[in-house]
Amino acid sequence: MSAKQKQFVYDSPEAQKLVEGLPHSAFVRQGTMVAFPLAFPGATLPVVLDESHITALDATPEGIVYGGTGGKRAHIFVAMWHGVTGMVFDMKMVEGADACSAVCCGNKQFLACVNGPRGGGRILMTRLEPPPYDLIQEWGFERPEFDDLGEPAPGETIVHAVADLSRERVVGVTSSHLFTVDFESKKIQVVAEIAGFGHLAVASSGSVVGRDGTSYLWRYDPHTQILHREASNLPDGAWSKAPLVWARDPRKGVLYTADDSGHLFSFDAESGFSRSLGQTPLAPVGPLAVTFDGRVFGFCGEGIAKLFCYDPNRQEMTDLGAAVSVLERRRYGYTFGDAVIGRDGEIIFGEDDDFGHLWLYFPRISTARTA
Amino acid sequence: MTRPIGRREFFRGSASLLTAGMALYPRADALAAQAAPQTAPSDSPPYKVRWYEFTEAPDSDTCWSLSVGPDGRIYASACAEGVPGGVVQVVRYNEKKDGLDYLFSLDEKVNDPPESGRASQCKIHYSFAPSMHDGMLYMATHLSGPPIDQPTYSPWLSWHDEKRCFRGSALLAFDTHTDEVKWWETLIPKEGCRCLLHDEERGLLYALSYPRDHFIIYDLKKRARRDVGRLGSINAQTLFLDQRHRVWTTNDYGHLVRYDPEKDRLEISPLVLPHNPVFQTGWHSVFYDVAASSGGDCVYAVTWVANSRLLRIWPNEGEWPKVEDLGPATQDRDPTVSVDTFRDHCGGLTFAADGQLYYVASRWRDPVYNPLSAEHKDREGVVWRLNPSTLERQEVARLEHPKNFAQYVSRGAVDRHGDLFFGHVGSRPSGIFKVEMPAGRKKENAHLPIRMWG
Repeated sequence: MSAKQKQFVYDSPEAQKLVEGLPHSAFVRQGTMVAFPLAFPGATLPVVLDESHITALDATPEGIVYGGTGGKRAHIFVAMWHGVTGMVFDMKMVEGADACSAVCCGNKQFLACVNGPRGGGRILMTRLEPPPYDLIQEWGFERPEFDDLGEPAPGETIVHAVADLSRERVVGVTSSHLFTVDFESKKIQVVAEIAGFGHLAVASSGSVVGRDGTSYLWRYDPHTQILHREASNLPDGAWSKAPLVWARDPRKGVLYTADDSGHLFSFDAESGFSRSLGQTPLAPVGPLAVTFDGRVFGFCGEGIAKLFCYDPNRQEMTDLGAAVSVLERRRYGYTFGDAVIGRDGEIIFGEDDDFGHLWLYFPRISTARTA
Repeated sequence: MTRPIGRREFFRGSASLLTAGMALYPRADALAAQAAPQTAPSDSPPYKVRWYEFTEAPDSDTCWSLSVGPDGRIYASACAEGVPGGVVQVVRYNEKKDGLDYLFSLDEKVNDPPESGRASQCKIHYSFAPSMHDGMLYMATHLSGPPIDQPTYSPWLSWHDEKRCFRGSALLAFDTHTDEVKWWETLIPKEGCRCLLHDEERGLLYALSYPRDHFIIYDLKKRARRDVGRLGSINAQTLFLDQRHRVWTTNDYGHLVRYDPEKDRLEISPLVLPHNPVFQTGWHSVFYDVAASSGGDCVYAVTWVANSRLLRIWPNEGEWPKVEDLGPATQDRDPTVSVDTFRDHCGGLTFAADGQLYYVASRWRDPVYNPLSAEHKDREGVVWRLNPSTLERQEVARLEHPKNFAQYVSRGAVDRHGDLFFGHVGSRPSGIFKVEMPAGRKKENAHLPIRMWG
């Protein structure tokens, strides 16, 4: 053995502390994560292994989560954990589609944007799932009919879409076009020719923003239907590789995004982008969401992603470790596709992996400040 | 108050545990008999047991891989995962000198020295796979041993750490004709290989990665790797091949997993493998070891969970195979205490020339469930012989280690002369057992048809 080998007295308190602490220190060090399968546990099978990459999530104000998966085939599902529920219902297996780029909740319906290996992305819509009776006592589910609204831009992949603040319409972007969908009339309207790259978001003004070329954001007002090209400059940073991701503060509508290097910025419709607020522990930055006290939680890094937290009040960036669940399912979480805020400020991450689970993250409650 | 036994700790603590056990259950005659060949119970012809220590690999603390090579000789891995910067040595049993040959230290063959600062090439874990047409023995390394200046290693913690992260599982092609490593390359970057299988007709190696539990296919002709996808969080410890070139393993919840090359998909069986219904759900009932029957029409398996279950599976029949529950492989125990799978263990499944299945199951002293008499050690590795026709099991030998318990056997194999060998975990240096078969139960070329997985 080499002379460089460090000798440890394994029975010593120092070595014991290292040995015992190290395996756990890799995993989430604040809050609690719960991995929930894409199933009604004990009542249904989960979505099959290679069709369960969760890439799209949205939630109703009541905290019912809708989502979409990809892989060999796309699925559209609803998940609920409040009241006497606790299940994921696989509402539709979408033939001819192998990806779901967005799910958007309206007031009565929701829609999913799905893409396939052949042809362009199309939009499927159905009613919101009514609350079940009691998922401890008795229940019954039937798969609903979906309306196929067609392709917003024939032959083009749908990159992303979001519901506006009224939840009456959706604004989306394909590989080359900006479009809208009206939940009530079910009509799709192409607005302009814009190359989609990354996610869209609803800014504090209620306008929808998206990447406009290499240096700008476009801005579209769903009510006035006015599009502003090159509406805001992207801040100084590296913006050439990773598609945009966003998180929205539910209190004031401030958005957060990150550049290729993990520099985090906030964006306000009035004041524009902030300076860099800090750098995430790893890059690229994946899905992120903002909880009710303004803290931003998201994943970063490839292979085995790490959870990070940015606290705007303390102006602190914290590495929280890799995802692990020991409740409901014992599972490590490595890669995530989308995030949405839950009813009570918990964050739901969609696992973009084989046998993808929904990961509920309950952040640590900060100690109350006393006068 | 009891203290949980850590995964790595049982290697270091086994010797002292033996001492502690002796104090509780004094046996004046037991230690004196340890080094002597052991005879089997009186209703069985004698099976002589002998221990071969890895004396030239003093840091070795485990022997995870033990397989018969394409040449009919026994190969074993002298793994060193409990020491900083430990490296695995490949060892072969030399029948002429009735001892061990140390073939090479693996780090030297793959240019990944222990001083690198990364997690070291410390072991080969169920990842010997023979190639009959050219005499190659493929082997792939695994991780867990710490870098040279750390007491332990977490692949999750160090995944993004360029200085610490394991470089990757090294795949080597060892020529058993010339004793040369013909080539090597990285099979799985940053991850270890938990188990390996060779589909020789198709020229493909199959592997499971750790820690991410991905199913990997390696094309030997193209020298190209493909990642088919993730299975879960708990590695199965074995892959096996059926007659239709489908590769089988298990997932976290005790379902069979099947890779069908025709579909190029991983499929999950609807049913859960048999498990203890009193305190288990099927979770963690992943394969530990699998041995094919001589005719290849069924396999025998044990699960990697406490109260390990012995199974017989018919993979070539039906949409999903018939799985027969042959019952627990180990003793009854207190279901309110989670006994570790180092103590409660079964492995070393192999068929011998007499057409019987041999395996080693642990047995331990328990004041309530198994109050063994004084001539027994606190923990024992019992060699069982199972008749596939009647499913009758017979205890034919007990493994005797000169200084430690011998309840944990990783793998077993039969060499070209028909004798049994078992890899041992639980002592430093580690080593292997040879169990000499009775004359009427052995023959030449007893290792054929050869097992194609580790």
